[in-house]
Amino acid sequence: MITKIQTYISQAVNPYHNLAVEQYLLEHVEKGCCILYLWQNQRTVVIGSNQNAWKECRVTALEQDGGFLARRLSGGGAVFHDLGNLNFTFLVREEDYDLERQLQVIGTACRNLGIQVEKSGRNDLTVDGRKFSGNAFYHSNGYAYHHGTLLVQVDTEMMGKYLVPSKAKLESKGVKSVKSRVINLREVAPGLTIDCLKKELLSAFSQVYCLEPESLSADAFDEEIIEQYFRRNQSYEWKYGRKIPFTWERDKRFPWGEVQIQCEVNQGIIEDILIYTDAVDCEFPAAAANVLQGCRFYREDLEIRLARLKMEESMKRDILELLTE
Amino acid sequence: MGKYEVKLFPSYSEDNLWVRKMPDGSYKIGITDFAQQQLGEVNYIDLPEEGDSITKGEVFGSIESSKAVSDLIAPVSGTVSEVNEEAIDDPAITNRSCYDNGWLIAIEPDNWDAEVAELMSADAYKAFLETQE
Repeated sequence: MITKIQTYISQAVNPYHNLAVEQYLLEHVEKGCCILYLWQNQRTVVIGSNQNAWKECRVTALEQDGGFLARRLSGGGAVFHDLGNLNFTFLVREEDYDLERQLQVIGTACRNLGIQVEKSGRNDLTVDGRKFSGNAFYHSNGYAYHHGTLLVQVDTEMMGKYLVPSKAKLESKGVKSVKSRVINLREVAPGLTIDCLKKELLSAFSQVYCLEPESLSADAFDEEIIEQYFRRNQSYEWKYGRKIPFTWERDKRFPWGEVQIQCEVNQGIIEDILIYTDAVDCEFPAAAANVLQGCRFYREDLEIRLARLKMEESMKRDILELLTE
Repeated sequence: MGKYEVKLFPSYSEDNLWVRKMPDGSYKIGITDFAQQQLGEVNYIDLPEEGDSITKGEVFGSIESSKAVSDLIAPVSGTVSEVNEEAIDDPAITNRSCYDNGWLIAIEPDNWDAEVAELMSADAYKAFLETQE
């Protein structure tokens, strides 16, 4: 039974930090306590625990625009965050987990703002059949969290730009994302701000649990543990290097010839690569394949490897674009 | 008769995993019927590789179902001797056949007798399930 409720509102907007705090809070929640954690990320695509980054997201475009790719511990599909989105997480011990009650907090806050919320399936909250909140879950060793997004005023154009399937033919195990029609809450609650929604959530939290929340201070957190999770969260191995092997295939016609590339990637590294072309300079496919084998499947690394080749700069650029577009 | 199937031979953990010395002499680990019903349709399983060691009470893999990731807690310690590739390719087999074809890993146990003695028998696990929900 919940006898204590706590809240923590992150002032940071870095996804690797915020996800590190989320994991830290999970591992430190007391028996009989429910923590509500509110956080926001600047331009980020967050993929599910078992997803392939390349399949779900245009990583090169995202990073070139200064955005972040992050992986969370919970399941499900890729989501887009910016400062028009508010994330919530309910963190409890497994025996205190109560999804219905947790969702009631979100529902109550929305109703108090005059928004009619519907539940769709097990995991989404919708208004007029359009999703404004996707929820996902993580259970580990007696601890559990339930978190979700709340779209208030997200840049849906950006969302569409990054969350599009790759142009490549990509065969991968992993979990696939499901495309949803989304809605920003401001469409149904004009003038709604993130601050206002935060306030409503805190008051609904208190109302639903019939308790006064105690606010947590970051001063009490163990910086070292959070730093350790932060470093893991931003590492290539964590974001891209999961043990989800995949095959990748693309072809394109350039002014100098048609190129077809096939790769086998495992743990984020090109294990095998074949390049075909009808271009007259028939030396380069084998040389390029040779230089790219063992390379991280990541633009910066591919660029460095390709630079070693003796071939036209424009052709190198074309190959790089083809691999990372 | 409960609504969850509990087989006679395996031993059970409170994390709802079973371990069993199989008739062929191998030691297998899987999830229980209660676990698979709670999870709903399993759509991804992350398991260790052959040769990795697992430690009783620690996470050795995870299962994803309906946007929830649940870590798998080792009921006994040992070295992974085989991974069920069929379950990796077709994760929902753990729903259809959790005690048979849907096993997860086989191990060479470190300390089988002592660690299994700490787990539950079928009857004890049935009683444990009564206390859940």
